[in-house]
Amino acid sequence: MRILVCVKQVIDGQAPVVIDETGTWVKHGNISPFRMNRYDEFALEEALRIKEKFNDVTIDAISFGPPRVSSTIRKAMEMGANEGIHILTDEDSFVTPFEVASAIASYAKTNTYEIILTGAMSEDDMNSQVGQLIAELLHRPCATLVMHQEIREGGKEIYVEREIEAGRRECLYLTLPAVLTVQSGINSPRYPSLSNALRARKAQILTIEAKALNIPEKRERLTGLSYPEVSSKGTFIEGTQKEKAKKLLGILHEKSLI
Amino acid sequence: MKERILVIAEHHKGHIVPTTYEAITFALELNSLARAKVLVMILGKSVNGMANMLAETTGLDVLGLEGDHLEFYNAEQYKHAIEHAIEDIDPLYICMTHTAMGLDLAPGLAVRLNASCITAVEGIKTNGDKLSFVRSMYGGKIQTEIIPELKKSIITLLPGAWKARERYPDKKGSVQIKDVHRGVSISRTFSVKESEEESLNLDDADVIVAAGRGIGTEENLHLVKDLAKIFNKSAIGASKAVCDLGWLGYKYQIGMTGRTVSPRLYIACGISGSSQHISGMKDSQTVVSINLDPNAAIFNVSNYCIVEDVTTFIPALLEEYKNFVET
Repeated sequence: MRILVCVKQVIDGQAPVVIDETGTWVKHGNISPFRMNRYDEFALEEALRIKEKFNDVTIDAISFGPPRVSSTIRKAMEMGANEGIHILTDEDSFVTPFEVASAIASYAKTNTYEIILTGAMSEDDMNSQVGQLIAELLHRPCATLVMHQEIREGGKEIYVEREIEAGRRECLYLTLPAVLTVQSGINSPRYPSLSNALRARKAQILTIEAKALNIPEKRERLTGLSYPEVSSKGTFIEGTQKEKAKKLLGILHEKSLI
Repeated sequence: MKERILVIAEHHKGHIVPTTYEAITFALELNSLARAKVLVMILGKSVNGMANMLAETTGLDVLGLEGDHLEFYNAEQYKHAIEHAIEDIDPLYICMTHTAMGLDLAPGLAVRLNASCITAVEGIKTNGDKLSFVRSMYGGKIQTEIIPELKKSIITLLPGAWKARERYPDKKGSVQIKDVHRGVSISRTFSVKESEEESLNLDDADVIVAAGRGIGTEENLHLVKDLAKIFNKSAIGASKAVCDLGWLGYKYQIGMTGRTVSPRLYIACGISGSSQHISGMKDSQTVVSINLDPNAAIFNVSNYCIVEDVTTFIPALLEEYKNFVET
């Protein structure tokens, strides 16, 4: 069985994000802390658990983006992915989920993957689209927000529980091959083992130029970027820590909350 | 001119999910800008009662699609049913809430209908003769405006971004119920499991003190619990990140796929404020946020902002509270 895990490189959530001079995209400094999207770490860990449970499972990790994303592909191999695939783009720019999904689907359709896993969303764009789009482009069933999976019927189908509102779970069967988008919290992603880390350091990453994949035109266009308006009602409480604490208690007392 | 805007209603145990009315508000706003007629669609095993109720409450026309295979939401069956039902309607926009159902359904449906797809939308702007849709990125630090390039668009709406209307036209919309055939079964949903965790009284709490990743370690949770204790009728909550780390159970989660709360006071401790979290707490009467990052998005929805490390600020606050009570 072959599994494809889609991993995205994102900027760390704590890092500042700045709109560039032209106002058309965000600017990343050279020292920006990039890492693997956490949702994708959960997806990769779930793939590794399938691999440990069954014989003859291989895991490929694929990523779409500029040269910098190769470090995230390598991280996936350090965690235990067998092969790495990089769909290489020229530069950082606004990319729609449809373009990313089209590129990955274009690669995946000539390779036989029984399961394609993605994170339920990316921490930066927060679209929650790529997995579902890949599934539709490849005419495969898809389940999103997956919190539990079990392969059944000798690999013909997969039982899935997906997280819906108020802690409820929808239970469904998907015929394999299928696409799952994994919800955070499904497992605890592992740290790379020393042997995998050493292997990954030397491993080749298969690089495919995005241009070679005939990615269709954008279906959504970015026309504006801005910083959200800070609501005028917000007051920053100033002073030393002790003074801030005092002022806050005064405010809460005035509002009869304490 | 017979342009249409379609709203996909969501229901649970025979009741319309409240966010459906938010999607209707959005569709009506879109209607005044795009001059198209709003139609509500509801899918299920038996939807006649809910369809009539929707038509009566909102004054909008409702199309119900029925079939035994639609007992539970299932992406494949919904896509199949909607694709066939809208052949004559040909809507410009299909709107649904960005819930577990909406985000599951929208992208695949967009591919099938050759439509643009914009998810977790928070606002509409007019941009010349075009409409653009506002959505957040980078945990709420950046807002983007997106224009669909194709004729048809599928839009999912961030819960809480629009309010349900209090008044609708005083008339009843038409109701049409159609039976639909089962699609190819490469996916079948057969049950919904209820949450195993007992429900928490977050809804009844006057004050919610919520923990984010900024509390640093699981051991620091006691700070949040201690702070909650100084208030009457208080409860603790958490961001999704804290639940994912296993520091608190998912029943404490506030925001998308968790709970929506509106207490008198919400204290966000070390929560950065992703749009998913904010959608679950922004209707709180007073919001106090404590965060080390002065640019944290949570401050955008806070009444009182405190730029401090929660792990040192809460102890200082509790110390001051002791003095405060004594005087």
